Amino acid sequence: MTGPFLRLAALAVLAAAPARAAEELNLFAWSEYIPQGVIDRFTAETGIRVNYETFSSGEEMMAKVLAGGTSYDVVQPPDYIAEALIQAGMLQRLDPKLLPHLGNILPEFLHLPHDPTQSYTVPYMTGTVGIVVNTQAVKEPVLGYGDVFKPSHAGRIVVLNDNRELVTWALYSLGKAPNDLTAGNIELARPVLARWIPLVRVFDSDSPKTSLLNGDVDLGIVWSGEAAILYQQDPKFRYVLPSEGAHRFVDVLAIPVHSEHVAAAHRFIDFVLLPDVSRQISDAFPYTNPNGAARRLLSARQLANPASYPANGPRDTFRAIGRVSEQIDQVVTDLKNSR
Amino acid sequence: MQALFSPPSASPGSQQPTRRAWLMLAPMVLWLVLFAVVPLGVLAVYSFCQRDELGRLVYAFSWESYARVFDPRYLRILWRSLGYATATTAACLALGYPAAFYIARREVRLRERLLLLVMIPFWTSFLIRTYAWIQILKGHGLLNAVLQSLHLVSAPVEWLYTPTAVVIGLVYSFLPFMMLPIFASAEKLDESLLEAAQDLGAGPLRVFWTVAIPLTRPGIAAGVILVFVPAIGMFAVTDLLGGAQVPLIGNVIQNQFLQARNWPFGAALGVVFTLLFAVSYGLLQREPRWERRRSP
Repeated sequence: MTGPFLRLAALAVLAAAPARAAEELNLFAWSEYIPQGVIDRFTAETGIRVNYETFSSGEEMMAKVLAGGTSYDVVQPPDYIAEALIQAGMLQRLDPKLLPHLGNILPEFLHLPHDPTQSYTVPYMTGTVGIVVNTQAVKEPVLGYGDVFKPSHAGRIVVLNDNRELVTWALYSLGKAPNDLTAGNIELARPVLARWIPLVRVFDSDSPKTSLLNGDVDLGIVWSGEAAILYQQDPKFRYVLPSEGAHRFVDVLAIPVHSEHVAAAHRFIDFVLLPDVSRQISDAFPYTNPNGAARRLLSARQLANPASYPANGPRDTFRAIGRVSEQIDQVVTDLKNSR
Repeated sequence: MQALFSPPSASPGSQQPTRRAWLMLAPMVLWLVLFAVVPLGVLAVYSFCQRDELGRLVYAFSWESYARVFDPRYLRILWRSLGYATATTAACLALGYPAAFYIARREVRLRERLLLLVMIPFWTSFLIRTYAWIQILKGHGLLNAVLQSLHLVSAPVEWLYTPTAVVIGLVYSFLPFMMLPIFASAEKLDESLLEAAQDLGAGPLRVFWTVAIPLTRPGIAAGVILVFVPAIGMFAVTDLLGGAQVPLIGNVIQNQFLQARNWPFGAALGVVFTLLFAVSYGLLQREPRWERRRSP
């Protein structure tokens, strides 16, 4: 409905942008995700100055983009937030002619449910949420969520402090699809979480590796990037994709409709797609690199890190959710509250 | 509220000092209006709004958020937060009062050096200092190493990720806010009053309770407010040192603005929270007057 208008507006901006101020770019991205070296290299090669602002959760990012204020040129939402932004008409269609290196992305990371036509987003890095085990402290095999949340592991577990993740794991353990977030299913997850939550010692989304490294906990469910860093420091930390199914996230780059530097934004996205630049990102942040050409530049050691490149297993990306986020928050708050 | 903004009364009849007083107050008033009154107003408006699917505000009137604030589960969280804040304030007072009193009674040069020591921690970011506590309190950390080498405990004690760790972190963060106002009060305390009490036969404890404490009460009251109020809303310490095991009111509010994306509910919690502060502040302000009436 508003599509043609937006495209027209985007084209108008595109035409006007280089004349005014192509030498600037407002980038809004996750903290600890884009190496400063990459940004400096982009500025050195293109002369475009980058204003780099960070966020620490997808929801925070969405709130700021929806509120207006700064007109960001490149944003870095996780898949399900990108889907919500596309639905709200906040992202503009990308110009494939300005992204000649899009072909570097492996097909398995393209045309995912959040952007089925691959018109609005370009994958940046991807990863999974899985189990990390200190194999010196935990001898029995830990293969799925049920093995983590055992009474014998009480007080030895770290998990992400993320209510949607918790509900997702409970749904997987019940054999439900993780995006099937109906009120009824969330109520089914409640008794499972009521058993699990009292066993957890630490809820931490920012740096779950800290409590594992300190030896205060022995196993956990964390971002794969954190597990990859743990494995680099000590191979006793083993990463496993839960047998019941795992959440895979794809963080993407996209251009909001209010961008004032559309050409520069495309240039930045294509720059990140260059194999050598993408390799530099993998060196700093060992997530799963969706860039096939960049993967060929990685060392055998990097590719052998089981947290960065886990064996195949069932995994799903999150879909956008609306009001049900309130119910999820309420269930988890309730259960933590009754400890 | 009005009393707060009226300028100090000038001598009757003369117009100029009042205008000058207003002029001097203007930057402060402007600051308060911009960064306290306006945001509070915005918060109050949001708290009566609704949200759409994406979490954007819908300007349609609703009481719904306030109905939820008084749901027993959130009241329980509020009580727990008050409990933590009370324990923190009591510990800060018990540790801070003697230290501040001692510093205030030293000779000038030593006093300044000791005071500097109280303020040095502010040179480092609060978060970094909290991370340092993780290193001290962790299973194989400094505290357990010391306790074990002194043979006080045989096995490492679990300090980190417990309520004790949270209170330790809160007390550490807020202790200077208790000490500085008490120091300011104690510094002004007239030495001759203490001597007079001694001359009249009061023992050291009695001098302390009946002379020193009442005379430093303004400092105690200021310190209690400066510690108690931010301690209720703190969420970083409870996340980092408490492992985010149990929700406190600060965590719940933070969640409404980020994960749950329910700004009206978060705003309603904030408004109720602010009203609570106003009431407790009022109560604290009344106490000295009541005391004064009783003891002539």
